[in-house]
Amino acid sequence: MNSTLKSLLVSLLLVATFTACGPDALYDLSEDTFQLRDSDSTLVNFPADFKGDVSLITFIYTNCPDVCPAITANMTNIQRKLDDTTGINFIEISFDPERDSPSVLKEYRDLYGLNEQFTMLTSHPNDSDLLLDKLDIVAEKTIIDSLGYDSTNYAMRHSNTLYLMGRQGYIRAEYPAHRVTSEHVKDDINYLRSE
Amino acid sequence: MKPIQHLLLILLSVCFLLLGCGSESNSSNESDTTNKVVLGKVTLDNAWARPGSQQGKSAAYLRISNGTASTDTLLSFSSDAAESVELHESIKHDDGTTSMQPAGQQVIPSTEKLQLQPGGMHLMLINLKKDITVGDSLRISLDFARVGTLTATVPVQIQQ
Ligand SMILES: [Cu+2]
Repeated sequence: MNSTLKSLLVSLLLVATFTACGPDALYDLSEDTFQLRDSDSTLVNFPADFKGDVSLITFIYTNCPDVCPAITANMTNIQRKLDDTTGINFIEISFDPERDSPSVLKEYRDLYGLNEQFTMLTSHPNDSDLLLDKLDIVAEKTIIDSLGYDSTNYAMRHSNTLYLMGRQGYIRAEYPAHRVTSEHVKDDINYLRSE
Repeated sequence: MKPIQHLLLILLSVCFLLLGCGSESNSSNESDTTNKVVLGKVTLDNAWARPGSQQGKSAAYLRISNGTASTDTLLSFSSDAAESVELHESIKHDDGTTSMQPAGQQVIPSTEKLQLQPGGMHLMLINLKKDITVGDSLRISLDFARVGTLTATVPVQIQQ
């Protein structure tokens, strides 16, 4: 094989790889649709309804006493620090659909004063795992003896993840959700917006 | 005299001075504060709590500074707003997940601080007696082995 042909083949392979997953894609949601509900109980097709924009996606449960409010605070911090928030969605998906009904999510978004750029999503308890498994989000109920435990009273051990999704539905970056600095995320958002 | 002897003499005098003051205040009446030795204090500041609903939970945060000359130990907690209060910590596991568990007994050495903050330690308010909302103010008491009970006024806030 001559070297020209070789490099042509390599180039083709590269093009094929990039068009299949997009550069640096961690997860491919471009062909998936998950039916979720927002805090107004409106049906949302995820991620289809957010394609064309860049989205920051994180995962919470509203009964979370410590870490999840810190994640939400960090999301609003990132929003505040961006010079231009056009074309960006801030999405929080509950991994506790048993308790986080749309109306509970509504209370949470009111409490934190989340504006219309924020979407809070939940699902039917039976469907929740499909999306979480796809994105490697872990969420399991935990028991702390002194807190008691029943079907409505439990804490959760959970992933602490913030994903950045590009316009086409590829997850392109991952951060520790309550710790990542807005400067760090800002550069990546601007990069994805410039594509 | 050599300089080192000067220094020793000065140090010795300072010691005597302190001893003198100490015994003076010991013998004086408790209500007479003019000669009282300042022992340093354990102080609580930067306190705030998250909103929560009746029967539900909330988390409170504050900074504890041990300004005394001795180590002190946190024994227990209580609040007018909740049936019980526990010290918890958020733990990061090797798989990247986070969970919460009771924190062990906290020993705070002299001059050191214990900072309770989101993602670290929090005071868990369990079974809130009523809804607590932004603008409310709670009282949380901390019992220490040496200095006894200290109470903090804790405003309810949203984390920024
Ligand atoms: Cu807790």
